Amino acid sequence: MGEIARGGCCPPMDLFRSEPMQLIQLIIPIESAHLTVSYLGDLGLLQFKDLNSEKSPFQRTYAAQIKRCGEMARKLRFFKEQMFKAGVSPKCSTTQFDANTDDLEIKLTEIESELTEMNANGEKLQRSYNELLEYKLVLQKAGDFFHSAQSRAIEQQREYESRQLSGESMETPLLQDQELPGDSSKPVKLGFLAGLVPREKSMAFERILFRATRGNVFLRQTSVEDPVTDPVSGEKTEKNVFVVFYAGEKVKAKILKICDAFGANRYPFAEELVKQAQMISEVSGKLSELKATIDAGLSHRVNLLENIGTQFEQWNLLARKEKSIYHTLNMLSLDVTKKCLVAEGWSPVFAIKQVQDALHRAAIDSNSQVSAILQVLHTRELPPTYFRTNKVTSSFQGIIDSYGVAKYQEANPTVFTVVTFPFLFAVMFGDWGHGICLLLAALYFIIREKKLSSQKLDDITEMTFGGRYVIFLMSLFSIYTGLIYNEFFSLPFELFGPSAYECRDLSCSEATTIGLIKVRRTYPFGVDPVWHGSRSELPFLNSLKMKMSILLGVAQMNLGIVMSYCNAKFFRNNVNVWFQFIPQVIFLNSLFGYLALLIIVKWCTGSQADLYHVMIYMFLSPTDDLGENQLFAGQKNLQLTLLLLAVVAVPWMLLPKPFILKKQHEARHGDESYAPLPNTEESLQVESNHDSHGHEEFEFSEIFVHQLIHTIEFVLGAVSNTASYLRLWALSLAHSELSTVFYEKVLLMAWGYNNWIILIVGLIVFIFATVGVLLVMETLSAFLHALRLHWVEYQNKFYEGDGYKFHPFSFTLLDEEEEIL
Amino acid sequence: MGFLITSLIFLVVGIIACLCTRICCNRGPSTNLFHLTLVITATICCWMMWAIVYLAQMKPLIVPILSEGE
Repeated sequence: MGEIARGGCCPPMDLFRSEPMQLIQLIIPIESAHLTVSYLGDLGLLQFKDLNSEKSPFQRTYAAQIKRCGEMARKLRFFKEQMFKAGVSPKCSTTQFDANTDDLEIKLTEIESELTEMNANGEKLQRSYNELLEYKLVLQKAGDFFHSAQSRAIEQQREYESRQLSGESMETPLLQDQELPGDSSKPVKLGFLAGLVPREKSMAFERILFRATRGNVFLRQTSVEDPVTDPVSGEKTEKNVFVVFYAGEKVKAKILKICDAFGANRYPFAEELVKQAQMISEVSGKLSELKATIDAGLSHRVNLLENIGTQFEQWNLLARKEKSIYHTLNMLSLDVTKKCLVAEGWSPVFAIKQVQDALHRAAIDSNSQVSAILQVLHTRELPPTYFRTNKVTSSFQGIIDSYGVAKYQEANPTVFTVVTFPFLFAVMFGDWGHGICLLLAALYFIIREKKLSSQKLDDITEMTFGGRYVIFLMSLFSIYTGLIYNEFFSLPFELFGPSAYECRDLSCSEATTIGLIKVRRTYPFGVDPVWHGSRSELPFLNSLKMKMSILLGVAQMNLGIVMSYCNAKFFRNNVNVWFQFIPQVIFLNSLFGYLALLIIVKWCTGSQADLYHVMIYMFLSPTDDLGENQLFAGQKNLQLTLLLLAVVAVPWMLLPKPFILKKQHEARHGDESYAPLPNTEESLQVESNHDSHGHEEFEFSEIFVHQLIHTIEFVLGAVSNTASYLRLWALSLAHSELSTVFYEKVLLMAWGYNNWIILIVGLIVFIFATVGVLLVMETLSAFLHALRLHWVEYQNKFYEGDGYKFHPFSFTLLDEEEEIL
Repeated sequence: MGFLITSLIFLVVGIIACLCTRICCNRGPSTNLFHLTLVITATICCWMMWAIVYLAQMKPLIVPILSEGE
C-alpha cells in the first residue's frame, strides 16, 4: 500500500497527509492472547477489526468473562455509591497494585458481602434505636398525661373533702354527693394503648377512632416538638403521642386495627408511676448502649470505605481495562484448531516495530512456546485517517474534523488553517485593545493548563479550554490587525509617525468642507489616525475593507485550488490536473483574479475608474470602448481574452473528464468483456470483477451528472464564494462601529456629566458592554464566520472529507469512552 | 518608508522567524517543513493585510473631511 503507488508534489510534511496505514493480521496463541491484547492496549496504535460482526454479543468467545467484568463494575459502582453516601472520596494512591483479575474479583466479592452485611446490621440497629427513641417519647409524654390526670384527681378529691368538711352548704348540689363516692368506690376497669401517630394523620385518626367505637373511647394527644425518625421508613416525620382509653376487648381489637392502618406505632405502657420511671431509665440505658454499638459500627464502616477509597481508582481502572481487553478479544476470530486467535487491524506503518515488540514481550511474559505471528495484508479497503497532532494542532484538526474526516492521505486543510483561521477571524475582530483582553484570557488557560486538564470543567469552560491555542493565535492576529486598523477600544493612536494629512492652509477653514490634504508620505503602518471620527471615515473604510475582503478571498480560494492540485499529483490523477485544476484556475482568475488586479491597479494609479462598471460591461458588451474607465493600455484586449478563457474553461471542466474516465475504464476491462466462461475456482473472484464492471458501465451517466453538478457548483460558487468573503468587511465594520458606540455613547457621555458617580456607573456599563458584547458575542460570531469561510469557501475547492477516523484500541482512551457511555 | 522597503522588512522578519523556528525547535525534516509553512503563511497573511491598507491610502481619491465639532 501507500508509498510506492503514491506520488507527491512536495516532500513529506507533518499533518499534510494522514499517516500511511496498513492492514495487519496477527495470529496469537490462545494462552498469550490476553497479555498480548493488554500490551497492545498500552501501546494504543492498533485498531482491531471486528471479525465476528455476524455474531451477537452472547455468542462470542469471551461473553462469560465480559459478564464477570460487568459484575465487577457493578460492585465498584456500588462501592462508589456507598462512599458517596458516607462522604468518603476516592484518593489517588501511588502504590502499585498488581493483582490479577481473579484476585480482584474475589476481593471485591468479599468486600461487597461484608459491606452489605454491615449495612443490614446497621439498619437493624438503627431501627431498634429509633423504636426505643419513640418509646422513650411515649413514656415521657404519656407519663405526663397520667401525672397531670392524677394530680387533678387528687385536687378534686381534696376539694371534695374540703367541701364536705365545710359542712352542708346551700350551694352544694345534691346529686354530686352521690356521684363522686360512687365513682371512687366502684372503679370501671379501663384499658389503654399508647403510641405515636404521624401528625398529618392525627385528625383523621381521631375521627375514625370516634366513629368506629361510637364515641366510647377517650383519646389524648400531644404533639412532639422535634420531628421523630420513623423506625420503618427511616424518615423524619412530625408525630403526635397519643393515649387512647377504651373499655372492653372488642373495642381494643378495633383500635389495634385502626392503629395499624394509620401507621401508628404502639408501645407497652404501665399505669403505675414507679414502673414508668423504671422503664424510662431502662430505655435510656438501652439507648445509650445501642448508640455506642451503632457508632462503633459506623466507624468500622467508614474505615472499610476509606480502605476501599485508597484503591478504588486502581480497581476501577483494572476492571475497565479487563473489560476492554475481553471486548477486543471478542472481535478476534477463533482458529479452526481452537489454539489460535486471528486478529486483523489497522496500524500506522511507523508503529509496526512497536507492535512486533509488544507481541514479543507478551509471548515471553506469558511463557508461551510460540510467539504471535504478524503479517501485513493487502487490501483495497480504504484505511482509516490518522493524524499525529500535538496539543496546539489538535484543536485545529478538530475544527476540520467536525466538517468531515479527511479521506485517507488526502491533503489536510489544517496545515494552512492553523494560520488562516485566526487570521480571517482577526480581520473581523481588528482591535488591539480587545485583542489584548483575549490574549490574557488565552494565557490564563495556557498557564493553568496542567491544573485545568486534570479537573472536570463545565461545558463552556471545557470548550474554551480545548480551544485555548486557537484563541491564543486569534488574539495575536487580532492585535496585529488592530494595529493595522489603528483601533484600541475604537481609539486611534499615532504610533507609527505623524498623519499624512494636514489642513490646506493655516486657518484650516476648509477642513470641514473640502477636507484635508495629503502632505507627507502615506502613513507607514495601518490606517491613518486622521480618518477616525472624520465625515469621510465610513466611505473610506468601507471601500478599503470591501476590496480587502475580495483580495483575501481570491487569495484563499486560489490556495484551495492549489491544494486540489497537490491532491491530484499525490494520487497520480492527471485527469484532475488537466481537466479540473487548470480550467478552475483559469476560470477563477480570469474573472475574480482580474478583479483583484483591477483593484490593485486602481490603488496604484489613483484612477477614478468605476470597477463595477468595468466588471459588468466586461460581460454585457465586451467589445465596447472602456472610455474613462480604462485603467491601463490594452485593457480591452485583455478583457476579451480573459472572457474567452473563462467561457472555454466551463466546457473544459465539464466534458472531457467523464469521457476520459469512461475510456480508461473500457481499456481496463476491455479484455474481460469477451473472456471465456470462468471455471468454478475462479468464479468468486471474477464474479466480483463482473460486478464492478457492470456497475461502472452503468455509472457513466452518474459520473457525467456528478461532473455537471461539480462544474455548476464551481462556476456559480466562484461568484457566490467571492461575495461570501464580503462578510469579512461586514463583520469588521460592525465590530468597529459597536466599539465606537460603546466608547462615545457610554464612556464619553458619562465623562461629560462631571459627576464621579455617573462616571463610575458609565465605566461599569462600558466594561460590561465591552466584555459581553464585543469580547464574547463578537468573538463567537467572528469565529463562526471564519469557520464558515474555511469549511465552505476554502475547503469546497479540494476537500472530500469522507474518510473515517483511526480509533486505536488504547487504555488511555478508556476514560473518554467511559464518559460518553 | 516606501512600499518596497517595508515589504523588504516583512521579508526579513519572515526569514528571521523561519530561521528561529528551525533553530529553536528542530524536530526532523517533516516537522520543520510544517513549521516553515506556518511561518510563511503567517508572514504572507500579515504582509497582504498591510500592503492592502498601504496601497489603498497611497493615492487617495477621497480625503478626510473633519466633523463639524472638531
